[in-house]
Amino acid sequence: MIEVRDLKKSFGNVTAVNGVTFNAKSGAITGLLGPNGAGKTTTIRMIGTLVGIGAGGGSVSVNGLDVATNADAVRQTSGLLTDARGLYIRMTAHENIRYYADLRGIDPAKSEATIARYVGWLDMKDILDRRTDGFSQGEKMKVAIVRALVHEPSHVILDEPTNGLDVMTTRALRELVKRLRVEGRTVMFSSHIMQEVAALCDEIIIISKGRVTAQGTTNELLSMSGKDNLEDAFVALAEIDAEHAHQTQREAALK
Amino acid sequence: MKMPTKSRMNALNFKTIFTVLKKELRDHLRDRRTALMIFVSSIAVGPLVLIGMSYFISSIEEKAEKREVFVQNIAHAPQLANFMARQDFTVKEPKPDFRELIGQGKHDAVLVIPNDFTEKFVTGKADVELVYDDTRQDASAQSIGILRRVVQGFNREVSGQRLVARGISGKILTAVEIQETNMGTPAQRAAMLLFIIPWLTLIVGITGCMAVAIDMTAGERERGSLEPLLMNPISRVSMIIGKWLAVACYGMGIVLLLLAGFWATLTFYPLPKIASVVTLSSAQYLGFAVMLLPFTPAIGSLQMLIATYGRSFKEAQTYVSYLYTVVSFIPVIAMFAQLKDATWQLFVPMLGQMMVLTRILRGEHLEAMHFLIPLGICLAIALFSVTMLTRLMGQEKIIFARS
Repeated sequence: MIEVRDLKKSFGNVTAVNGVTFNAKSGAITGLLGPNGAGKTTTIRMIGTLVGIGAGGGSVSVNGLDVATNADAVRQTSGLLTDARGLYIRMTAHENIRYYADLRGIDPAKSEATIARYVGWLDMKDILDRRTDGFSQGEKMKVAIVRALVHEPSHVILDEPTNGLDVMTTRALRELVKRLRVEGRTVMFSSHIMQEVAALCDEIIIISKGRVTAQGTTNELLSMSGKDNLEDAFVALAEIDAEHAHQTQREAALK
Repeated sequence: MKMPTKSRMNALNFKTIFTVLKKELRDHLRDRRTALMIFVSSIAVGPLVLIGMSYFISSIEEKAEKREVFVQNIAHAPQLANFMARQDFTVKEPKPDFRELIGQGKHDAVLVIPNDFTEKFVTGKADVELVYDDTRQDASAQSIGILRRVVQGFNREVSGQRLVARGISGKILTAVEIQETNMGTPAQRAAMLLFIIPWLTLIVGITGCMAVAIDMTAGERERGSLEPLLMNPISRVSMIIGKWLAVACYGMGIVLLLLAGFWATLTFYPLPKIASVVTLSSAQYLGFAVMLLPFTPAIGSLQMLIATYGRSFKEAQTYVSYLYTVVSFIPVIAMFAQLKDATWQLFVPMLGQMMVLTRILRGEHLEAMHFLIPLGICLAIALFSVTMLTRLMGQEKIIFARS
């Protein structure tokens, strides 16, 4: 369970996140949907302990642990994949993944078993012992995701993981996310593509200009917007008066 | 803004240090081209410097010993030829195109005797032509002086004889006689070059660490691998120390290869000329190692710190090259300013190392402070850099800003 309460963050004069509140339940996939620059990445980085929460910046708790005071514990239980997915090109895919496992102090036998499992799921056997120099986008992504999951986190947060990927890899990734849900983990998944979020997520949170403008299941969002297709619904919901949305959301949270 | 820094973020964790060190060493040794270039060039410095110096010394010795002059048409001046022979000079016929060659700096100065020399000599109106190029410092510079002195000596002798023939003492022509005593042996002149050995050694050490130090910091930022790396619940200071130790291993490896290059050349390659200037005992090698081994890691840590501000390898390279320029010019400036050895220099990185290394080469007296002060400064630099790096790597502008 990830609980985000009235999260705020500014960089200089730019307000990136302006009072975001939502819950991401265990055993469910929560989609964070929003246009570019809506504040998704900052929200995710704050959940992932990479960006600090200043005084009066709200709170985040992961698995009941406050991010601001228990950063290390949160890092133990969560796996984060942001758009920074750089690999070491002179090392093989396997070595890249093992480096993180070793840094986390995971028993080698255990980490090898974990790696083998994900390699099977993502069909990476052929690339595992190749150096990552020259890997395709999809191959790099697979390595980065296994690297982020090598410690078997109970909370998985993926920031626009399908960006720039081909259909095959996207599909493999969706399968992986569904498997994680089956295992009872909390999965957060951000995207700016409505169809993708709709196909995958149990609950969708629409963020625009640093605020949550709507949240619910696909059907709830459709009826909320009064539109009959997802794209129109997304556009309509993203453009809801942010101030108004903030009010309704607060009321909903208080209930 | 800082990342949340509660709990173990700043506690030392030896396992983390070791894991990072192992990974960085493996990663960078796999960069075969860079590694090979660094290692080969560091082992080659010794032989190149020593062989180059040896040639330089032999060429000054040769010139100092050489008593030969180029004269065209010497047959027309038997009196002069006789004088030169008595002075132990060998007269050599210049090459036919000597005028052109002198202009190119490829020929010594030439004395040209006109065909009517003897006739004019009898009447006291003889002249000779001295061909040289005084913009050239190399080949002809020394030979001009020799030729002038020879002709002046000849003049003095002839005019003395002529005065004697008229009943006047020849001594009247010389009010003051110069007795020359040259204290500078070729070996002493070559000793000036001793400056080059420590300077190059230090420079190569610094250059060698550069690529690795930049790749570990700005390289991580450029690749986008820093953000996920910092997502791991590891002690940041341990991660930095691991990286720094990898740079230090590289730097110290380079120093050892450098010294091996010097040792191998002096041991296996017969350079008799160099032996009069440079002979290294095992104590001197040890002295070099003690000075150099802490220096490269210290400068390496500074390079890492500066490189961290670069969002890309290229940007960082620009920043680090400023440091490189400053550090490599410190001794040059000191040399031009003709600084005499003083204790305060031990506190200046590079200057202190230069001073002590040169003294080691000259076999001069050294005290414990000559080693301890530079060592302390190196430790302080490394400590400062590691602390600053740990702080920087927690800053959002460093973690997220990429090019």
